[in-house]
Amino acid sequence: MALRTLFKSGVVLDIYFFKNNRSAFLFTLIWPYLTLTLIIGMGYLFGSAESFKQNVGVSVDPLMYFIASTLATMVSLDVMWGIGGSVLEHRWIGTLPYILLSPNRTSITLVLTYIPRYLLNAGIQLAEFAPLIFVVEGFYGGLFRLSIVILAITLGMLPLLGFSALFTSFLLSIKEESNVLGWLNPLILLFSGAFYPAYLLPRWARIISKALPSTYTIELARLSAIIGSPELRKITLLIGALVAMSVIYNSASGLLIQAGERKAMRKGAI
Amino acid sequence: MLKLDVKYDVLELRNRGYSMSEEDSIIARNLRKIYSTYLRKGLIKRERQEVHALKGVSFSVKRGEVFGLLGPNGAGKTTTVKILSTLLLPDGGEARILGFDVVKDASKVRKLIGVSLTVEKGFFWKLTGRENLTYFGMLYGLDGQELRASVQQCLELVGLTSLGVADKLYEEYSLGMKARLSIARALITDPEVLILDEPTLGLDPPSARTLRELLVELAHKKGKTVLVTTHNMFEAEILCDRVAIINEGKIVALDEVEKLKRRLAGKVSLEIIAAPPAKVPVTSLIETVRSLIGAPSKAFPENGLVRLKVVQPLERVEETTSRVLDILHRKGCKIRRVEVKEPNLEDVFIHLTGRKGF
Ligand SMILES: Nc1ncnc2c1ncn2[C@@H]1O[C@H](COP(=O)(O)OP(=O)(O)OP(=O)(O)O)[C@@H](O)[C@H]1O
Ligand SMILES: [Mg+2]
Repeated sequence: MALRTLFKSGVVLDIYFFKNNRSAFLFTLIWPYLTLTLIIGMGYLFGSAESFKQNVGVSVDPLMYFIASTLATMVSLDVMWGIGGSVLEHRWIGTLPYILLSPNRTSITLVLTYIPRYLLNAGIQLAEFAPLIFVVEGFYGGLFRLSIVILAITLGMLPLLGFSALFTSFLLSIKEESNVLGWLNPLILLFSGAFYPAYLLPRWARIISKALPSTYTIELARLSAIIGSPELRKITLLIGALVAMSVIYNSASGLLIQAGERKAMRKGAI
Repeated sequence: MLKLDVKYDVLELRNRGYSMSEEDSIIARNLRKIYSTYLRKGLIKRERQEVHALKGVSFSVKRGEVFGLLGPNGAGKTTTVKILSTLLLPDGGEARILGFDVVKDASKVRKLIGVSLTVEKGFFWKLTGRENLTYFGMLYGLDGQELRASVQQCLELVGLTSLGVADKLYEEYSLGMKARLSIARALITDPEVLILDEPTLGLDPPSARTLRELLVELAHKKGKTVLVTTHNMFEAEILCDRVAIINEGKIVALDEVEKLKRRLAGKVSLEIIAAPPAKVPVTSLIETVRSLIGAPSKAFPENGLVRLKVVQPLERVEETTSRVLDILHRKGCKIRRVEVKEPNLEDVFIHLTGRKGF
């Protein structure tokens, strides 16, 4: 069946939802700035902008650093909620069996119907931060830094799709309805270095951090904040890491989400 | 309504080794299902328990037929329906829809069926009925003009447009409206086979009648195959061409309603409606009566009253009546109505399943 229709159904769902639920749309608009404030607040807990530069080690532009962190963090969160959370929501409201009754594979249905929401959210967030970046960095500087951020969140979405689908297969296979994501997401963000750089984490936590795709997304986005020119070598390395993780997580989840689905179908969890 | 691009070709299916009669759209063969549940024993320890929900269920439904799966709560109706709609894997046996195996060819089966499970949920709260249908239509592969037309037609068929609520939010729907929308979704792709779990739950009597007429028309005029489950005997009797009575995971009878009733030739149905005194628990009252009668019987608590039914040969009806009335009197019950009737499907059901407790 046409995957285009599946994608379109996601678009249609979002339009209907926001049309009938204006306050949710308003919140989507305010949300990026709320998160930015939170992250800047957290950042300043560790000292002033000057001491921050010293802490981080390299010469970074604090505002750009925080904006990049915020964007990468929000987008990572968004993918995890959008895919894992949608399965929980479908189960709560009873739409899950009818989603499964779509002739496409469940992982494809879940991902494709989610992508419009991702594009919308990422688009809104970029559009809201772009003027700020241009004001602070000037046009060409801003354009350059923005491109790195866009690259980071676009590439970063790919492994996260698979990574979140892995969760989803787990969520499908258990009969529990508790909100596993609610406490898992902040933990993942902590280990990805969303709140402060991952290399400041204790050694054991750094191992976990290396396995999380969001770590690389956030780090890549943050490279945009380096004053002068960011290191190309490092950018290339991070891109490589994200691509590799895309392949690993997406193929793993392709297999595992089916296993999760079958387990759920055996247990009667649908 | 549109035609789906998937057509099944009986000849082609035969060539591929499927033995199916042109008439049988749904085939269930020896279906078994065991649910494992865990009983918590303390913080970590838990005990595994098995529920044998289906113990070898077999039946087949012909093209153009309305087939009813009739049984009490927990009989295994929903379990059967979920297996047939590819949402639950059986632990034994097999099932085919239009020749396709529900496990191995699940995605093909999904294109041929329209399904309604619990009618009281399964939609997005913040979308209107029409928007919900449009979304699911797209999920099932419809688009453009075809989609819009099909949505409109289904909304009309289930009467949501005439109620004027097609463009109201789902969260504002009453139970009956939700049920209608659920049926509309099952119809959206104009499927060959409809699988509906308790479709008339929550509908008022006139709406239930309209829906039954719609289902009969789809089957008899358009050649669709309709499988419904119900625990409403009256409904099964007037809606279904054939009925399978399922109890505790087994089919105890399968036939046309008239033929099922003929099994009770020479028997009559005694119905007594009584008002038990407040201090006597209804269940214990029913148990006492049942243990003393010795004939297949069933009691239904109905808003404060008890409706007791006994199926027995005509010549014994007087004796039983006086005995039951005697017991009820002694327990302090007020008798509201005593009636002796020709048996209906409910009595067939009682006859087949009513020897044990209920
Ligand atoms: N997911 C499940 N996990 C464990 N046991 C289950 C599950 N679903 C159903 N059961 C059990 O399987 C048996 C059959 O249930 P089923 O839902 O098929 O009955 P039903 O005929 O649809 O009943 P009702 O008229 O109440 O809808 C019951 O004993 C039920 O408790
Ligand atoms: Mg049921």
